[in-house]
Amino acid sequence: MVHGHGWTGRALRLWLPLGFFLIVTLFPFYWMAITSLKPNAELYSTKVMPLIVHHPTLKHYVDLLTETSFLQWTWNTTIIAVVSTAISLVFGSMLAYPLARMNFPGGALIAFTVAATYLVPQPLLFIPLADIINRLGLGNTLTSVILTYPTMLVPFCAWLLMGYFKTVPRDLEDAARIDGATRTQTMVRVILPLCTPGFISAGIFAFTLAQNEFLYALIFLTNTDVRTVPVGAIAELVRGDVFYWGQLMAAALLGSVPVAIIYSFFVEHYVAGLTSGSVKA
Amino acid sequence: MAGSERNIFAGSRRDFLKAAAVGTVGSAFGPAAGWSATKTLSLMHESSFIKAYDQFFQKNLAPAYEKATGIKVNYELASVGGLQTRVATVAETGSGPDLTLNFFTWPFLYNEKYLDVGGIAKEAGEKNGGWYDAAKEAVIVGGTWKAVPFGNVGQLMCWRQDWFHEAGYDKFPETWDELLEAGTKLKAAGHPIGFELGHGFGDNHGWLYPLLWSYGGKEMEPDGKTVAIDSDETARAIDMARKLFKQTMNEEVLGWTDANNNKAWFSEQICCTNNAASILFVAKRDFPDIAKVTQHALNPKGPTGQRFHILAPWSHSIFTHTPDPEAAREFLRWLMQPEQVGAWYASAETYYAPYLHAYDNAPMWSTDPRWVPYRDSIATSHLPGWPAPISRASSESVAKYVVVDMFAKACAGASTKDVIAQAVAQLKQIYRVA
Amino acid sequence: MPSQAATLAVPSITVRRRRRGFRHWTEREPVFAWLMIIPPLLFLIALVGYPFVYGILLSLEDRPVAHAGTFIGLKNFVTNFHDPVFWQVARNTFLYTFCATLLKAVGGLGMALVMNQVFPAKNVIRAVMLLPFIVPTVLSTVAWMWILDPSFSVVNWVMFQFGLPRPGPAWLGNPSLAMFSLIMINTWRGLPFYGITLLAGLQTIPPDLHEAAVIDGAGTWARFRYITLPLLMPVIFIVTLFSVIFTFSDFQLVYVLTRGGPANATHLFATYAFDIAMGAGQFGLGASVALAMLPALAVVIAGLAFYMRRR
Repeated sequence: MVHGHGWTGRALRLWLPLGFFLIVTLFPFYWMAITSLKPNAELYSTKVMPLIVHHPTLKHYVDLLTETSFLQWTWNTTIIAVVSTAISLVFGSMLAYPLARMNFPGGALIAFTVAATYLVPQPLLFIPLADIINRLGLGNTLTSVILTYPTMLVPFCAWLLMGYFKTVPRDLEDAARIDGATRTQTMVRVILPLCTPGFISAGIFAFTLAQNEFLYALIFLTNTDVRTVPVGAIAELVRGDVFYWGQLMAAALLGSVPVAIIYSFFVEHYVAGLTSGSVKA
Repeated sequence: MAGSERNIFAGSRRDFLKAAAVGTVGSAFGPAAGWSATKTLSLMHESSFIKAYDQFFQKNLAPAYEKATGIKVNYELASVGGLQTRVATVAETGSGPDLTLNFFTWPFLYNEKYLDVGGIAKEAGEKNGGWYDAAKEAVIVGGTWKAVPFGNVGQLMCWRQDWFHEAGYDKFPETWDELLEAGTKLKAAGHPIGFELGHGFGDNHGWLYPLLWSYGGKEMEPDGKTVAIDSDETARAIDMARKLFKQTMNEEVLGWTDANNNKAWFSEQICCTNNAASILFVAKRDFPDIAKVTQHALNPKGPTGQRFHILAPWSHSIFTHTPDPEAAREFLRWLMQPEQVGAWYASAETYYAPYLHAYDNAPMWSTDPRWVPYRDSIATSHLPGWPAPISRASSESVAKYVVVDMFAKACAGASTKDVIAQAVAQLKQIYRVA
Repeated sequence: MPSQAATLAVPSITVRRRRRGFRHWTEREPVFAWLMIIPPLLFLIALVGYPFVYGILLSLEDRPVAHAGTFIGLKNFVTNFHDPVFWQVARNTFLYTFCATLLKAVGGLGMALVMNQVFPAKNVIRAVMLLPFIVPTVLSTVAWMWILDPSFSVVNWVMFQFGLPRPGPAWLGNPSLAMFSLIMINTWRGLPFYGITLLAGLQTIPPDLHEAAVIDGAGTWARFRYITLPLLMPVIFIVTLFSVIFTFSDFQLVYVLTRGGPANATHLFATYAFDIAMGAGQFGLGASVALAMLPALAVVIAGLAFYMRRR
């Protein structure tokens, strides 16, 4: 969108800020990486230069993969995040679509109510939720968190999608309706595909929040083999006041870098949004 | 999902739930417990940093009990911060494991959901040489044993022998004044002291309450109804803490939680801290050179001539919701038999200092003389809130860090008078003093 | 709807007609809207509504954990009103939310504008920048414990190289610095999401608008001010409001890093409520602290609802 004026313009407008953002966002990851590769003796040494690894070792990774159920936790986390994201996107669009594109009595109230669910602080929710989960007999099942995570994901997805739904011009919808499409067809075949970037950002948000969630997972998932990465890592790598720093950092990296790689395929679809955006106006 | 929603609002919820537990939804957690003889029991525990200790339960105790009785015992591990949230949720919802580990004052918080285990505790005492009095302070709620004591994770002075020697000290200082003097020299030599003043779980209380008590200060009168923190003794203890902070420590201790002093120890930044024996354990495992110069000592004495320690009790309780209380009791009784409990203690060397006198001279204490202070400190250990009776209110005071923050604010620059006044106001509210 | 008589007379036709009638009925805007909204709404009511009511009732009781409660009206709120720590927590939370949201909004917009340009390995870099948001907060916070440790901090290390005396700034020990550090970490964690969401918004802005503006002689700033910003406003608005909500009720970061220390300088509503409810076992009082967040957030959300409906 910004047209450069030669090399210096591009450096100022792109490379300099890009470099800044990259350093800011990635430095802690560099730190995690070197921490996960340092033997304990070096980790605690204040005498050696802290920014490089002098005696790299994979011991923390080996320990993480052999002595804990890390792979099982990753698998659990993936299932939980995928399913609760799917539920949240479906429910989110079911709420957002009418709210964004239709006039009907009670709309404003619903919009408020949906957002108002965030007024209920999580520290207040988990005891009654635990009660519901127990009464449903869902303790220690992945279903327990798959069911509870959408409570915090749906409202956000709905609101975010509302924003994107509103950007699609009304005439597109009218044209489809004149051609005989039902409301459902119009929504599914015309409007929703135009909002792919919105779905991707809402999906990324929901997926990430689901895989990061700590409190519900801590309370509902107590057996090692149903735990998620954050809860499992904290339960088994933080023992009293003894932290297994190297393994914790290895878990942080192994738990996030693959996700980033998967996301990189999704952000490609932002291009689709670009072309669809040009249809309007 | 639709079904569950309807049923949450309808009255017939329980019937539905029973059906769900047997049938579709709750396959992973719906064993038919309670229908016939108990087949499994679950015990919640903190994941110990001594892996051998957890493994001893999983690989020796649990299989042995299953072999003897046919009952499988699940050992459910949580992190130190996570366990209380779990216990509270289980106690509130009346569903979950049958037994749990307690820390600190938990038997006083959840007592209504815990079974009376006096019979087991008394029997364990008789068979194992009797209980320490301190153990009773932690588990007897209104005259009833709500938990069976297990061991103490003492908080003592951990000090660097080599650096103290260089500064001219071959023994750990006997009083806070001497510690101040030694610490001042040591900080000048580049070896500050590091006592936690932040919002951790144990290492802050570990030295601040003993400091307060050794000066004769206390939060409440023994009647538990009169706020007693506003005294000259408290003021003097605060002044000592402030001097210690200013002359012997770095500012960072104000923001520490329990892991920071371990980290500082292994990176050789501090000459002294107050901690459980975990530092020496890990040092022996990972940092042999540091282990050689790591020493333990009892907390210093105050002007009263007395020294105090924080009681950090571990105990086991049975939830009232357990479908088969007798089975849970039987298991706990079995666990506290000398053959079992003695071996379990030994698997953690001396980290969980036994509350049972029969182990006062157990072989584990002679593996390294440096463990011994952890045994000797039990007799002078008390829970936060002492000398007032331990109660929900004393737990609230701990959770709100009333005493810790009183000292921390003073160290960060507030006046002694102000910090005491704030503590008084908080304690009045917490203890519901009119 | 078809008439009853017709239904009785020719069943096969009426079925079709009724179906068409039903379809016609669902095609009506309000009907279609409500049919769509009801399932997710019921879901939210069941799993949030019940706990919410439960929480409100708790806040009106003296309710120790695992113990029957007694109704005490608004006494818990009165207690909070007289609790200096409560007010400190309130100040902390507002400061934290305000600073972190502002930094995230400005930084996130900048990030989106940068990432909206064409450069090599675009998708990989965009995804990699999301890492702070992806990595489990409890684990990245553990990394920050090291980064902020005065003896290991890179900032302090650089300062030492320039001859500053050890130990250097105590990033978590000094009360003001501790709050500053938390704001920075929260910004670090939330910035990428801002960036990527606003980027999605930027991508829906038709390029021809910019082209037309260029032809009209508009400069970079003018185009940003009069085209990009107005069109991006709805997305900025929503992300900001949700950022306010999430930052306001932040828990994990503080819980892992400082647990509210030093001397409550970093305690937030969520952590303070949690300590009171869990640590102290005072559910009623804890609920009242948690609910004290409500008025401020309600204003935010009402603004959000109003704004969205108006557009």
